[in-house]
Amino acid sequence: MQPRRFAQLDVFAHHALQGNALAVVLDGEGIGDAAMLDFARWTNLSETTFVLPPTPEGAAGGADYRLRIFTPAGELAFAGHPTLGSCQAWLNAGGTPRQAQVVVQECAKGLVSIQRSPSASSTDQEGLAFAAPPLQRSEVPASVQAEVLAALALQADDLVAAQWLDNGSRWMGLLVRATDVLPRAQPNAAALRALGVKAGLCAIHTPSSGAMAAEPVLEVRGITLTAHGIAEDPATGSLNASLAQWLSATGHIALPYRVQQGAAIGRAGRMRLVADAQGQVWVQGQVHSVLTGQVIL
Amino acid sequence: MRTRAFMQVDVFSETAYRGNPLAVVLDSEGLSDEAMQAFARWTNLSETTFLLPPTPEGRAQGADYRVRIFTPGGELPFAGHPTLGSCHAWLAAGGQPQQAGRVLQECAKGLVPLQQDARSGRLAFAAPSLSRSEIADAELAPVLQAAGLQPSQVLASQKLNNGPVFWALLLDDPDTVLAMQPDLTALHGLGMELAVAALYPQAAKTLIGRASREARAFDGASGQASRPPEVDIEVRVWFNTGASLSEDPITGSLNASLAQWLLADGHLQAPYVASQGINLDRSGIVNIAQDAAGQVWVGGHVAAGIQGEVLL
Repeated sequence: MQPRRFAQLDVFAHHALQGNALAVVLDGEGIGDAAMLDFARWTNLSETTFVLPPTPEGAAGGADYRLRIFTPAGELAFAGHPTLGSCQAWLNAGGTPRQAQVVVQECAKGLVSIQRSPSASSTDQEGLAFAAPPLQRSEVPASVQAEVLAALALQADDLVAAQWLDNGSRWMGLLVRATDVLPRAQPNAAALRALGVKAGLCAIHTPSSGAMAAEPVLEVRGITLTAHGIAEDPATGSLNASLAQWLSATGHIALPYRVQQGAAIGRAGRMRLVADAQGQVWVQGQVHSVLTGQVIL
Repeated sequence: MRTRAFMQVDVFSETAYRGNPLAVVLDSEGLSDEAMQAFARWTNLSETTFLLPPTPEGRAQGADYRVRIFTPGGELPFAGHPTLGSCHAWLAAGGQPQQAGRVLQECAKGLVPLQQDARSGRLAFAAPSLSRSEIADAELAPVLQAAGLQPSQVLASQKLNNGPVFWALLLDDPDTVLAMQPDLTALHGLGMELAVAALYPQAAKTLIGRASREARAFDGASGQASRPPEVDIEVRVWFNTGASLSEDPITGSLNASLAQWLLADGHLQAPYVASQGINLDRSGIVNIAQDAAGQVWVGGHVAAGIQGEVLL
């Protein structure tokens, strides 16, 4: 055990402590898998990451650093908020990317590009963005839709569309008819665990008259499964990447749009979803450094 | 906003990162209640504490420091693992108690004495006063059903109130404790918080009992753990998180009230060692002692984890 540089950051928020917290161990070399998992369980955050030098293959592919991502229950191949938060922690700690505006992260899923915005402080221009991974989606059978709606204490006529969304992280996307349906959802832990469903609820804000120029807003709730129960996410990168791909492809909402998440748990998670000229969806968000110091690991 | 000294410590375990974590902001002067609550929500730990100088009244009575204790949902007048962890952080940051080996903490509930064992360095807090009462059979039946227990497995039961209120069951066997899979929705519906405990057989505790514990504790674990001390009792606790019940890794307040009950009724003798958290992949160890005046002391190891600065 030795002191290692450590940071805990707030991801996907316009103001610190309103988004999704991430613990980052900056010098991750030489820590065993079991010690990584024990520490990730101990931080009690949705994710804890360990920054390492790239593998030889990763370095050959242009990687600036390598990342391992742990939840309290195990390791993930990829996740959104850990990617943005770890990238910012690496930059804050003096990391210098090979390209000025793009950082290349190596993780178990492969290489992930992260774009840096030139004006990270403005709320119009979010600070960092990751490319949404390829999405596999499929229809949800009506009987399963009914079971999930029951597990959320919602009615059949609340639902506009449902879809299985899998980009490494598998969610059931549930578009409901209005934002006032979202706070009515009461997730039943036992029922959702029995179904094995992570529920990504969303609704499109009705634009107020006179706000013609403003981007549309998607209100989101992410109910995730944990090692021993369920939890509501303050801001979920992977879910919002998938929702954007699904909802834009099916014409429910046009990119770019803004995301608000976490209201039911007193947070103000904020993202912006955009598409580039090639049709690639990007998930943008701001990262705030909250804690810096050392950890003994 | 400014940077403030910060520590996150590991309480009630002798194995790194297998105890109960506590976030401590060391210089909290000038933080509003709202800022404290927002940070406690963000750390997502069961408790986050904020150290302050004693109030004039506290100082007049000898308090060394003042602490405010927040869960993600609100402020607590007192709690066990935050008391040990905050005292450790205050000493580690250079705090000098007015009396060597003894620290007096001021919190919303009043003054709480702590002792530091000269040899082991281990801290212990004085168990707060307890009120307890019997549980009628008719009241107990639905709890046993929700907990998946047979009446024959329950040796004794009691409602324990030292601020938090727990329904405590003394069970027949540590394996019964470790095998429990209670229906948390049903327990939540009964409006209670549950604690269970069972004694390791004295003769067998170094053999069967410990073999059983270690098989569970180190199943798939790091294996780098130091050998745990001999354990006399296995404990599990489920507390109310609002929407449901959730299992707590290691619970200072419950181990305090449990000790007062079990010692007074002659189920155990002090000193003894309690284990908690195995089912959550934790290795919690709580050291119970009793002084000549009958005061119960709740002790545990505290280790440094994260040290640095927080912007608040």
